[in-house]
Amino acid sequence: MSRILITAALLIITLIFPIGRSPGETDDASVKKAREILRQVDDMWRGTSSHSILTMQVRTAHYTRDMRMEGWSKGKDETLVRILSPLKEKGTATLKSGSDIYSYLPKTDRTIKLTSGMMMGSWMGSHFTNDDLVRESRMEEDYEPSISYEGKRDGQDVIEFTLIPKPDAAVVWGKIVATVLADGYMPVKYYYYDEDMKISRTMTFGRFEMLAGKIRPKVMRVVPSDKPEEYTELVYEELELNISLKDEFFSISNLKRI
Amino acid sequence: MKILSIASRNVFRNWRRTMVTTVAMGFAGFIMILFASLMQGLLQASERNAVSMDLGDIQIHSSDYREDPDLYKVIENPDRIVNDLKKSGFHAAKRLYGFGLAASGSTSSGVQLRGIDLSTESDVTEINRHILKGSWLDEGDPKGVVIGRKLARTLGVSTGDELVFVGQAADGSMANDIYTVKGILKSVGEEVDRTGLYMVEKSFRELMILPEGAHEIAVMRPDRTMDLDASTERAAGLAPGYETLNWRELKPVIARILDLADSQMIIMVIITYTAVAMLVLNAMLMTVFERIRELGIMKAMGVTPWQLMLLVYAETFIQVAAAGLLAVLSGVSLSHYFEHNGIDLSSFAEGASFGGVAIDPIWRAYLTPGSVAVPVIFLFIISFLAVLYPAVKAALIQPVKAIHHR
Repeated sequence: MSRILITAALLIITLIFPIGRSPGETDDASVKKAREILRQVDDMWRGTSSHSILTMQVRTAHYTRDMRMEGWSKGKDETLVRILSPLKEKGTATLKSGSDIYSYLPKTDRTIKLTSGMMMGSWMGSHFTNDDLVRESRMEEDYEPSISYEGKRDGQDVIEFTLIPKPDAAVVWGKIVATVLADGYMPVKYYYYDEDMKISRTMTFGRFEMLAGKIRPKVMRVVPSDKPEEYTELVYEELELNISLKDEFFSISNLKRI
Repeated sequence: MKILSIASRNVFRNWRRTMVTTVAMGFAGFIMILFASLMQGLLQASERNAVSMDLGDIQIHSSDYREDPDLYKVIENPDRIVNDLKKSGFHAAKRLYGFGLAASGSTSSGVQLRGIDLSTESDVTEINRHILKGSWLDEGDPKGVVIGRKLARTLGVSTGDELVFVGQAADGSMANDIYTVKGILKSVGEEVDRTGLYMVEKSFRELMILPEGAHEIAVMRPDRTMDLDASTERAAGLAPGYETLNWRELKPVIARILDLADSQMIIMVIITYTAVAMLVLNAMLMTVFERIRELGIMKAMGVTPWQLMLLVYAETFIQVAAAGLLAVLSGVSLSHYFEHNGIDLSSFAEGASFGGVAIDPIWRAYLTPGSVAVPVIFLFIISFLAVLYPAVKAALIQPVKAIHHR
């Protein structure tokens, strides 16, 4: 009986007066390092601003699609992507500004704003969701990183992060496990877990080649875990970083211009 | 016969009390008849909204479609199945479903796109006549769409306004086009009201690049009196390899609610009548007690206990019969009035629904033999149970004691 009381008292004391490390101070250096690496990874294709030409191949059980597109970005919040081919969708443009997504549809000559309900919908028929566009390069803001592995894997020195969503972050993933090369912090593989902590999709990076003055992965491939035979592959054809782009460039009126 | 005439004389002896008792019973009966017919009206309207506006009696889908509705899970030979069903006397219509986003101005909302075969849909459902504003789809106007009322409100569109649909076509490309709102539907159910976007089959196929197949075949029995389960089985036989379910299986919640309505009605009746029973018990007990001497003399003159009991029951019967008549006359006439002049709930119950089925904003009564008979029959049963005690009391009177009773 008295043992139970003591245990209970200890428990209460621990709850009321947390002894030792408070979350802010834990492994300060390690978290800082994790954050810093993550920031570099996030900026891999973006810099302060970017201009790129990409091809996207989507393979599903029902169709295979090849698209070519041109994209611009500035900072973390502004992205504009315009479809170059196929002809049917040429001129279709997507603008991400802050947390809003607008789509310009040349066939109807209308611009629509996507609602939050559409965020998990497929972007351009690919395995990327609209939410991916909004969340892109926000990992550092929305997730609490920690280094979960450091060492050799498949003959390469890698660092593995586990990213847990911050309590107030409106994110769809339960956690993300990201592996980057220890040398140059190049992303290798990301595992996205759903809220039930089951792997939902895998993103693999490849073809480490010269791109915008540095070795970078040129290919990004997303494979949904429930349909392993399907994928979306994004290939960078061209990339320019840190170019000058005006804020007005990322406006709804500029969406229409071809 | 003699008992009945004595009873009627007794009933009118204290006519004020008789009046109060009878009117109270009649009023309770009247309320119950009105309540029953209003409930029936609500249920009939809900079932009609569920079945005749949307579901149909029976639906056929690809076996895994309902779990995960997907553009590719189609019934491959819908026209053949529809024809077979028609040959067997059923009404049948194929339907196409897709998902996407409807936008107008700066607002947008997720929608369920419904491709409708106009030539057969009106055989199965009455949705074409369930229009709040504007008109139903027209083959000659392929860009005209009909939408649910809540969707119209969300998008802020009315008839004649334009609406952009964006979704993913079957080939993975972006399906998008401009349509004109041709009509806005009356309330059907949560799903249709919030997300329903109806267009003609041809436009759907062009938009979603789905040249063949259908996602659903809705079937109606030729006659609503035919057994639903047997009809479902017969329809299933004509669509081998597909999932055939009737609306009770598709929407078990609604079916349960409708089934439970009758027992709910009886519970309501019993609760209300218990109060009435107290009143009757009290009145009859008083008539027995104030006549103890008289009853004692009757007994002394050779009236049997059974006859005395019968006397009390006869007195009760006269009052209940009068009350029943009152209840039927007033209940039926008011219910009849509400059958033709519904109660307008739209101001405070706008868009109410249960189990996903919309409740009509105009609440009409629906008189069925049951909604009259159940309250009246229960009025008799409960009153008779209540007077059991006074009747037995009267029957067991001892003449000598009774005559000296003061």
